[in-house]
Amino acid sequence: MENVYVTIGLEVHCQLLTRAKMFCRCSTDYIGKTPNTLVCPVCMGLPGALPVLNRRALELAIKTALALQCEILPEVVFHRKNYFYPDLPKGYQISQYDFPIGVRGVLEFALQGTKKRVRIRRVHVEEDAGKLIHEGPELRGTVSGVDFNRAGIPLVEIVTEPDLHSPEEAKECLVMLRNIVRYLEVSDGNMEEGSLRCDANVSVSLSPETPGAKVEIKNMNSFRSVFRALSYEVERQAELLRAGKTLVQETRHWDEVRQVTVPSRGKEEAEDYRYFPDPDLLPFRIAPAMLQEIQATIPELPLQKKERFMREYELPEPEAYILVQDRDLAEFFEACVREFPSPRAVCNFILTEVLKNLNSLNIGIRESKVTPSMLAELLKMVERKEIGISLAKGIFEEMFRTGMGARDVMLKKGISFLTSERDLEKVVREVIEKNPQSVADYLRGKEKALHFLIGQVMRATRGQANPEVVKNLLLRELSSGE
Amino acid sequence: MNLEEFRNFTIQDYHALFARGELSPSALLEAFFQRIAEVDPLLHAFLFVNRENALEQARRLEKEWKDRDVYPPLWGIPVAVKDNICTLGIPTTCGSRILEGFVPPYNATVIERLERAGAIVIGKTNMDEFAMGSSTENSAFGPTRNPFDLNRVPGGSSGGSAAAVAAFETPVALGSDTGGSVRQPAAFCGIVGLRPTYGRVSRYGLVSFASSLDQIGPMARTVEDAIALFEVISGKDERDSTCAPYPPFSREEIPPQEDIRTMRIGLPREYFSEGVDPRIVKVITAVLRELEKEGLELVEVSLPHTDYALEAYYIVAPSEASSNLARYDGVLYGVRRGGDQGLQDMYFQTRSFGFGPEVKRRILLGTYSLSSGYYDAYYLKGMKVRTLVRRDFEEAFATCHLLVTPVSPVFPFFLGERTENPYEMYLADVFTIPSAMAGVPSIAVNCGYEDGLPVGMQIIAGPFQEGVLFALARFVERMLSLPLPFPKIGPERRS
Amino acid sequence: MHARVSFEEIRKIAHLAKLSFSEEEFARFFQDISDIIAHFEKLNELQLEGVSPTSHISWSEPPMNTDEPVEWQGSDLVLQHAPRVEGRYFIVPKVVEKEEKPS
Repeated sequence: MENVYVTIGLEVHCQLLTRAKMFCRCSTDYIGKTPNTLVCPVCMGLPGALPVLNRRALELAIKTALALQCEILPEVVFHRKNYFYPDLPKGYQISQYDFPIGVRGVLEFALQGTKKRVRIRRVHVEEDAGKLIHEGPELRGTVSGVDFNRAGIPLVEIVTEPDLHSPEEAKECLVMLRNIVRYLEVSDGNMEEGSLRCDANVSVSLSPETPGAKVEIKNMNSFRSVFRALSYEVERQAELLRAGKTLVQETRHWDEVRQVTVPSRGKEEAEDYRYFPDPDLLPFRIAPAMLQEIQATIPELPLQKKERFMREYELPEPEAYILVQDRDLAEFFEACVREFPSPRAVCNFILTEVLKNLNSLNIGIRESKVTPSMLAELLKMVERKEIGISLAKGIFEEMFRTGMGARDVMLKKGISFLTSERDLEKVVREVIEKNPQSVADYLRGKEKALHFLIGQVMRATRGQANPEVVKNLLLRELSSGE
Repeated sequence: MNLEEFRNFTIQDYHALFARGELSPSALLEAFFQRIAEVDPLLHAFLFVNRENALEQARRLEKEWKDRDVYPPLWGIPVAVKDNICTLGIPTTCGSRILEGFVPPYNATVIERLERAGAIVIGKTNMDEFAMGSSTENSAFGPTRNPFDLNRVPGGSSGGSAAAVAAFETPVALGSDTGGSVRQPAAFCGIVGLRPTYGRVSRYGLVSFASSLDQIGPMARTVEDAIALFEVISGKDERDSTCAPYPPFSREEIPPQEDIRTMRIGLPREYFSEGVDPRIVKVITAVLRELEKEGLELVEVSLPHTDYALEAYYIVAPSEASSNLARYDGVLYGVRRGGDQGLQDMYFQTRSFGFGPEVKRRILLGTYSLSSGYYDAYYLKGMKVRTLVRRDFEEAFATCHLLVTPVSPVFPFFLGERTENPYEMYLADVFTIPSAMAGVPSIAVNCGYEDGLPVGMQIIAGPFQEGVLFALARFVERMLSLPLPFPKIGPERRS
Repeated sequence: MHARVSFEEIRKIAHLAKLSFSEEEFARFFQDISDIIAHFEKLNELQLEGVSPTSHISWSEPPMNTDEPVEWQGSDLVLQHAPRVEGRYFIVPKVVEKEEKPS
């Protein structure tokens, strides 16, 4: 789209991977649980209840801010954000206002090989609200129901500067953020489950000097939604501008069904949250030792890992990019390469067969019964031409299903190595004899016929032969037979 | 059983009788229940009398401790509890319609500690709604009356607890103090009331009014009993982030008697100005003369920001309150009104019905002070003045061990006398607010009667100096040897 | 600091605080509030430049929770006493979420 200047900023909330809630000892394991069972006086805002900070929530938030290269503020101060809503039991949310955990950070990501940089305005920590349901067997009449199991779960909020300039950039930025929080093990970063949520601010203008109106987009529930919603919105704003209309600052919702953004109806006045320091939580200073300890737990991050993979293993960017999406997968790759130092081969096999099998069982690499060593062993066999690649794929599937090593699988299935070239020669000659038409076709120049003959040999040997070897033998026989 | 025999008792005295088998907790309770039945219809100190439950507890205690004569510190002692302290299974209304019928599913920390020490909750006492008030006239359930004159107020907001102790419906009680709500009613009813150092007693389970000011305090007939209660309820609590990480108060912290005579007492001139009722000045001055005779040194000091503390308090406290009271919305607990026209209808109707006028005033004030555009002008300013008030006390305590002042500039006033003008009512707290803003401990002790009404004296100490506070309070108590209250409650005024 | 408080401002404040009044009541409350706020003017007599605000009276490190979940047994009691419950949900008038939730 020419002559359209797009500015996008993201506001991302991630549920932190603590076992207990942010200000009380209730469990955070709320998915699928009976409503209003993981609750207590504190997270339900009963009269007289008081908050006490979960140290781990603070640590994970600091870890996130450090990983995003933020400057960490020396004092932790909580503020109350006051408003009325049924999922907010106290009538205020404990959050942070002018003293967030970290400020002025940076997030780097890559878009089609080009490195991009987004400034992080702030990282802060706050508590999640409860959940409202609007339909269900329990709801009779025009009512809604509230479940406080989720109320009080710790969230880290990450706000970027409006440094993104296209929906693609925004999506890639979000993906990188997701990967980072997963690498750090601070969050599951799962948009479908709600442990990662994203709102965006989009502003379009037809000239670089005049800024556009900031439109907030909410209710995007997947990476794809984010991309589509932002694409739609950019187009919508551009069209209006080209038609000479002016845009106003507003909030819009993404309608997943109709694939459009719609204005949010609601109060015209902006809500006044009356932020003030929460008198129930004392401000305190973060000890430098604590910062150092947390910093030491930060692993190599996705972008750095990708660049290192490209350097050390000479992997092309697209492959390296996919490999590092999942830290466990990347570690699996490296462990395998340590034993079988052919990175390209390992990478290819992982990105095809391993991922395919993981997806079919819907599990992560951590749950895989195949270890890096086992894969290394299999790939060595292929390299030594003891088995062909297509056989290897089949063996791998069995290894994946049962946890047995390659050789055990072959023994169990009665697949033996066909090392004797003489046996193979016999089969090759038999096939040549049985398929005179194909032989003739090949001799007349039809390459396809050769493939057919190779296939026949493979069938006859129940896939046990090495196709390379079969091909060479066939060629030898066919040329000598002339 | 005639309660008259016990009118001068301390907790130790009850324990002595328990040990000798001459008295049992259930018998003692029955005596108090009888007294309550006699006088509370006139006094209205109690909102809930915990009859069955209390007797059950008493019987259980008797069974468990048969044949033992060393008791936990509050064993078998009835305690009346202000109705803003959560008591498991016992209605807790905070004097408000919006919490009518609310039964807490948990105990406040102080209640757990009381019960572990063997105390028995005898009932919940009346109070100004959500602790906002200085006379207990703001209770949604009718006022409590002063046991010395039923036409007068007992003070507030812990008026019910004060009246109950003074009228001897209970030996001891718990109140809460935000700007004077333990000390002022204690003074109006002639008993002892302690406001601890901020953070000395856990607030977990105390329904919040102004979080940075609220403290639970003991109310008793003697300093000794206040000490006993304070030892049990104070000390760190991991459920309250604002509770200081120190162990409970121990009477070992009280300096020996001889040390009193070496103390220098500061008399802040701002508290002895023309605005104070001359009768109060007369009584307190007489006590001060006696203290001087006993060898204590009295010096005049100044707390120059005293006058500004009231305004700052009425910015800061309502601000915090406006946020603390947002949870009363009809969703989870308490009363609900409206809703046929939707969610907003439910919010507006519930809160407009459920809150009384003083609470509404303070919510409006607080919301205004915090609102965008006014935060700096009001709330921030209030917090800065608070710093200056704290400094006043720090400087004073650099040269004095203790400060002594009147508790109230006025005598217990008549019901209805100050309800027309809210600001008039606020002025009743002008001497108790500054120390609360500074977070320092102070105690009210009875120092005499004038025209048949008690006059209270306030002693203020530095942070965590309750020991020194108790030392002087006890000294004054012994020096004056005033009879402990046991007023005949009836239509005519009696002293 | 504003010596004069406007009717409109207090109306907005009442709305924020979810309090409704009859016209008569509102007039009375408005008067009370204005009078009290007028008293706050007194604080302008003070020199507050450079004075740091006391938002908390605090000590070194506040207590913090360890990350170990503990189950609370009282949720049934809360449901029992709630104004309106269906199953295990707290029931409120239907909320049109996208319309009413503040950002």
